[in-house]
Amino acid sequence: MMAAAAKGGVAMELEKMSVEQVKAIKEQTDLEVNLLQDSLNNIRSATSRLESASSALHDLSLRPQGHPMLVPLTASLYVPGTLDDSDKVLVDVGTGYFIEKTMAEGKDYCERKINLLKSNFDQLIEVASKKKSIADEAGAILQAKLKQLSPTS
Amino acid sequence: MGTSSALRDLQRDLENKAGDLNKLQKDIAKNHQVRKKYTIQLGENELVLKELDLLNEDANVYKLIGPVLVKQDLAEANANVRKRIDYISAELKRLDATLQDLEEKQNSKRDTILKLQQRIQSLQAGKAKA
Repeated sequence: MMAAAAKGGVAMELEKMSVEQVKAIKEQTDLEVNLLQDSLNNIRSATSRLESASSALHDLSLRPQGHPMLVPLTASLYVPGTLDDSDKVLVDVGTGYFIEKTMAEGKDYCERKINLLKSNFDQLIEVASKKKSIADEAGAILQAKLKQLSPTS
Repeated sequence: MGTSSALRDLQRDLENKAGDLNKLQKDIAKNHQVRKKYTIQLGENELVLKELDLLNEDANVYKLIGPVLVKQDLAEANANVRKRIDYISAELKRLDATLQDLEEKQNSKRDTILKLQQRIQSLQAGKAKA
């Protein structure tokens, strides 16, 4: 109810303004919606990176010690080696810091980060859809006003 | 006539003031950019601090310095991250103050320009009548 009343309020505000002002508001809101969409995409790709890290961790935990593997030296050069201790992992926590964790802690870290990203994503989606509805309102009102100005078209 | 040269002077003054306003707006935009960068860094550092706080005393922490991963003391890492957070917060505060100052200047410049435009208009109207 309150949301509808607020939306009605916004529509009334827009009605009172001139064509120029409604146009400006629509353009600005469109820009904001685009920015929010970009942020949403970034969060989505970060979440998928974390999820593949998490599944790689899980895979690693299944491998026994001494398991033969290929170690990447560069992007195209691998050398054969053996898996030493798959219980210790190095986690990149940001700003150049790496923390040695156990497999369980590493999995927990991935989980925590994924949850954090998911909640940010949900918050952003709410804001983005509100902005989008304002942009749509402004667009509709702009159309109506333009029609008013040129009735013989 | 006297009025036309006065008019020309006013118009030149208007151009100058418009240039000043432009520069102010560019400065404000740059301020926003730097602010954004600092805010992102602050967020990242706070995340790192949270992770470090969760660790036991004996956990190993490494820092990537160029191509080298160097073992760090947990206490030292904590202190470094905290110092960085303090530094970034101070910079953000400074930027806020600068931004406010710039915005005030921008508003007063806009007012000056508006008044100038009005004077020019009334002068031109006066000329047209004469």
